[in-house]
Amino acid sequence: MSTPEILKPALYAAEGTSTLPDHPSLRGGKCQCGYVFFPLQTYGCEVCGRTGDALQPVALSGGGMLIASATVHIHAGRTPPAKADVKPHTAPFTIGSIKLDDGPTVRTLLVDVDERALKPGQRMVSKLVSVGSGAQTIVDLRFTTAS
Amino acid sequence: MAKTLKDLRPVYVVGIGWHRYQPLSETPYVMLGLPAIRQALSDAGITWPDVESSYIGTGLLGMAAGRAMLKHLGATGRPLVHIENASASGSAAFRHACIEVAAGIADVSLAIGVDKPGVVQRAFTKTGIGNLADDAIVPFTHFALLTNEYAHKHGVKPQDVALVAVKNHRNGALNPNAHRQQERSLDEILGGKPVSGTLTALQCCPVGEGAAAVIVASEDAIKRLGIDPGRAIRVTASAASSEGAGAHAAADAAITKDTIADALKQASLAPTNVDVLELHDAFTVEELHYVEAMGVCKPGQAIHLLKEGAFDIGGQMAVSPSGGLIAMGHPIGPTGVGQIGEIAMQLRGEAGARQHKGAKVGLAHMVGLGAVCYVHVLQRP
Ligand SMILES: [Zn+2]
Repeated sequence: MSTPEILKPALYAAEGTSTLPDHPSLRGGKCQCGYVFFPLQTYGCEVCGRTGDALQPVALSGGGMLIASATVHIHAGRTPPAKADVKPHTAPFTIGSIKLDDGPTVRTLLVDVDERALKPGQRMVSKLVSVGSGAQTIVDLRFTTAS
Repeated sequence: MAKTLKDLRPVYVVGIGWHRYQPLSETPYVMLGLPAIRQALSDAGITWPDVESSYIGTGLLGMAAGRAMLKHLGATGRPLVHIENASASGSAAFRHACIEVAAGIADVSLAIGVDKPGVVQRAFTKTGIGNLADDAIVPFTHFALLTNEYAHKHGVKPQDVALVAVKNHRNGALNPNAHRQQERSLDEILGGKPVSGTLTALQCCPVGEGAAAVIVASEDAIKRLGIDPGRAIRVTASAASSEGAGAHAAADAAITKDTIADALKQASLAPTNVDVLELHDAFTVEELHYVEAMGVCKPGQAIHLLKEGAFDIGGQMAVSPSGGLIAMGHPIGPTGVGQIGEIAMQLRGEAGARQHKGAKVGLAHMVGLGAVCYVHVLQRP
């Protein structure tokens, strides 16, 4: 069996962090000024403008708290999938806004959740799910409720 | 020290005009913009050669829409510039027209917003920085998330949030320039097509086509051109800002708070002095966010005032008497200019069935993708 292909390797990794080893980590950045952000970029810090080596990669743990959720009922899907052989998003799907334990807030799709039972404040964790439509296994990052 | 608009020479709205906001049609944009401008010229009682510069707010038409339209008024050779600032394109066009007149560089300037729906790629998708799922999170889902957060935080029910749409459709039904001109019951709004989260179709603004024009002038021009000073409405503040660091989800409300406070300070007014408020209610929850950010009431309390009728025409402060973005519509370029037109009409006492009696102070608020924020205060002299 081949290792699954990561859809967006610049944004997350299958490996967790030491605080949350069992959940994929997110590739964030930390500036000399202390600002922690996602995703990693080295164009310049949004807080202080420092650039280059002042901005260092930091693995953000895949745990956080749900701020809000919404189930999308209409989706035009004007933008093509991130890659060929990847299933397009089809409504209904649920989006969550999650404040990561390590600081930044991210928004992405939630999986394996009972949307009626979702409540802001709930604990959420990252997981990789298969999104391929062809023979190859391609995985993408999602969040789900912590068990 | 830098100056505010009020420190410069006085600038007045002297002419207003529209082409109705409507669903996409075969009408070329030129024939949306020209009727609005001709109506504004006739409202001011001046002619096109009296206009010394033009600011064209447009988000979706593409490059260089202005001269191809304006030349049909008689090509005067005067300067023109296009302003794209997402939803706030028209508000930005108005601000810069005001600044030019207040600075004394022109005596009469035009702000014209004109647009037709079209697919324009948003530049933030081309920064080279990836995102987890932005292709799945369009504006209505951004605001559905904010609705969920607001409802949970303040114990507000989705059917309460939808009351914003009941009021704004009621106002829009009285506005001949509105995209949606039909009263809607709460049941109709809640029973409509589900869009995202608890938002239904009638709680989301329609994005169609249309135009709005506003002519601003100095006191010199008002005297020289014989414009009726009794119908001139002074612009007493112009404030603008963009989002600060931190990427907070409720950035629109945060910049709204600061920008409205700045504008009211410039005009030496308090939130309670505002009689007529036009705001960026692209989605129902936004009206609640922004009146609270303005300081009209404490966070979570706007719904109670709304239920009491405080935001109705004739209430404590008429909020979006035009119908707002939800009913009047949101054709992008025209939206911010149209807000100014509505407020000028209200302060002149010429708003007919939508008139908020005794209106003396109006405030126009707009946010745009980015996020950016614009606020203008208009006052009856
Ligand atoms: Zn920094």
